[in-house]
Amino acid sequence: MSAREWLRTRLGLDALQHVVEEKRVPVHRHSLWYYWGGMTLFLFGVQVATGILLVLYYRPSAGEAYESVRFLMTQVSFGWLVRSIHSWSANLMVAAAMVHMFSAFMLKAYRQPREVTWLTGMALFALCLAFGFSGYLLPWNQLAFFATKVGTDIMADVPLVGGFLARLLRGGDQITGGTLTRFFGFHVAVLPALMTAVLGTHLFLVQWHGMSVPPGVEQEGRPAKTMKFVPNFLLRDIVGWLAALAALALLAALFPWELGLKADPYAPAPAGIKPEWYFAWMFQTLRILPSRVLGLEGEMLGIVGFGLAAVVWAAVPFLDAPDGRGTRARLWSLVGMLAIAYVILFTVLVYVGGRA
Amino acid sequence: MTAARVVPGRAGGAPGARAGRALRALAAAMLALALAVSVAGAAKDSCVECHRGLDEPRLRAPVAGYAHDIHSERGFSCAACHGGDPADPEVTAMDPDKGFKGAPSRDQVAPLCASCHANAAFMKRYNPRPYIFSLAEWQTSVHCKRESLGDQKVATCTNCHGVHGIRTPRDPASPIYPTNVPRTCAKCHNPEYMKGRPVRTDQFALFSKSVHGVALLEKGDVSAPACNDCHGNHGAAPPGLKDVTLVCGTCHGREAELFEGSRMKAGMDAQGRRGCVTCHGNHGVLRPTDDMLSAERGGVCVGCHVPGSAAENGTREIVMSFRGLAGSVTAADSLLRVAEIRGMETAPGRESMKEAQDRLVGVRAGLHSFDAKKIGAALDEGASLARRAADYGRSALLDWRNRRVGMALSVGVILLLMGLVIARIRRIEKA
Repeated sequence: MSAREWLRTRLGLDALQHVVEEKRVPVHRHSLWYYWGGMTLFLFGVQVATGILLVLYYRPSAGEAYESVRFLMTQVSFGWLVRSIHSWSANLMVAAAMVHMFSAFMLKAYRQPREVTWLTGMALFALCLAFGFSGYLLPWNQLAFFATKVGTDIMADVPLVGGFLARLLRGGDQITGGTLTRFFGFHVAVLPALMTAVLGTHLFLVQWHGMSVPPGVEQEGRPAKTMKFVPNFLLRDIVGWLAALAALALLAALFPWELGLKADPYAPAPAGIKPEWYFAWMFQTLRILPSRVLGLEGEMLGIVGFGLAAVVWAAVPFLDAPDGRGTRARLWSLVGMLAIAYVILFTVLVYVGGRA
Repeated sequence: MTAARVVPGRAGGAPGARAGRALRALAAAMLALALAVSVAGAAKDSCVECHRGLDEPRLRAPVAGYAHDIHSERGFSCAACHGGDPADPEVTAMDPDKGFKGAPSRDQVAPLCASCHANAAFMKRYNPRPYIFSLAEWQTSVHCKRESLGDQKVATCTNCHGVHGIRTPRDPASPIYPTNVPRTCAKCHNPEYMKGRPVRTDQFALFSKSVHGVALLEKGDVSAPACNDCHGNHGAAPPGLKDVTLVCGTCHGREAELFEGSRMKAGMDAQGRRGCVTCHGNHGVLRPTDDMLSAERGGVCVGCHVPGSAAENGTREIVMSFRGLAGSVTAADSLLRVAEIRGMETAPGRESMKEAQDRLVGVRAGLHSFDAKKIGAALDEGASLARRAADYGRSALLDWRNRRVGMALSVGVILLLMGLVIARIRRIEKA
């Protein structure tokens, strides 16, 4: 008995082969957006691979974290490359996840029966942001220290549970070595465990329900055309992944991720400190809010607003028209476009120095 | 224990009545005492009352000034210095029989101030760690010596501290607050006031431009020395030949220690030259630069060492090595900077660089030993560190180039793979 035959009978490879052979992807004018989920998944894979390499050298304590990253970058062969790719890939992954989420929203891919797929996607996006926030502190440099301080201070303004949340994250009232160890724990244990579970569910549901066809294409009676997932779609996916890999190589070599100065809690905060770009639009919103609005604290109001917006965004499959047509559907498309415009505009404002 | 126990109300009269009367009496006594104190406190000081209304400004001015005087704040009236009876509302308050002394003469001022300020027990009533004025120290000052010869234009206590508006030395408005001291001294030590006296008067002009003066007067750095930090205050006198190094060494300890043990010190003493000031000057001391070591014009060594002499040659050798180290440090810094601009991590190179810079600073101080062997060893050590930093910078730049080559190769391979995959897709879909 050949090894393949041996595995086939024990692992049920026939059923798997059947699924793979049967899986097809609709082909229409919006097919381009189907690739962004796979792109996000590929970048997540890069994160896992480079993260495992980083953890071989990283030491999660206030006394050693910065030095261990510096050692990795200067003494370990290709250590600089691994760290640069990990950092750049994290940013590209958040960007790809954003494109995937907004395109799914605009193409109304959340419609029945894909509500849970949408919800797990939202959870995955939140996990991506949590990965970014927790990983940013780990090199224990000055910029990361103060950005985390600002971030956790903002979190403390969440009504009722803010103080508890901030203390839970920091492991106390201040950012200390304890916070670093805690963030490391979140970054390499808690979040990956959650990610595995939610990502598994999300991928299963995507396979289960197949690719969603946008209402406009459905209305036209299309798509008449489909393509096989393996090999046609997968090979196209691979072209995209190779392009992402080339972009990572370019970014890592041309713009290696800096380490900066070691965190010093007693040093003044660096001038013009900003959060990572994917939090920038929220930061800018909080920055322009008056200190008091209708007798309430402006920052708290902003945070409550973000919370409500996230709830509405997650609940859109239940609020939009089930068939994705009509006035209600057009209204939600408008909401999506406004949200995209808002996020882009407010992100740009942070980097061009505007306050309004 | 039972026999000794006091039972309330058992002493006589109705229970509690006696205790109540005692409490009322105590309250009345306290009220009377408070009234007496307030009446006494409100008692008018006839010195202030009369002088406030006098027509002559000279006699009226002390009243306004004294309101902000530290002595006034501590509760001293005019009579504490001038005698007399401030409780007497008439002119008889100034009766010599009532102890009135009037304005003390110049030679009486220091002993008058000393009557309190030299009394440690008295001063401790107002400050647990008081400054105790020493009349003996004052008598060592040029000011006191000239005064004892009948010179009426020399400074006494009031010329520096003020008269009726004296403030504590910690008060920035005080004329003896560190940043105000040079101007206070310059009130007398100027060409106009010192006309006809064999005293230099360019000190303030020189000091204002000196490294010390700029730090103190322009940057407000109160740790920088003012006149009194070198000359003393109550015992103010020019530092003598032997104590110049001690004066500078109070702050520049390492340099002074090395100089004390050097051959240069012995040589200078033998020639009657005054240690530190021979090279650095005194009131106009400038920030030392490496150019001071120049064997050419502008350097301080050639001021004494004859060109071509053994000492001058030795100096020239040290200067060359020293400049070599300074140049190596600058070159290494440039290399590291270029690498940093290109995004390379240079921390280990920066560490070597910092150590080399520390050696350079150490050599600058170590030059005061005038020991060629020690200086040479420190210079060699610094040069080795600077080389290590430069090597790191070079390797970082090489690494930077290699990374680009690696990136170009890997991107080429990736593009080739992409081309192959695209060709495969076309082949599949054509079939």
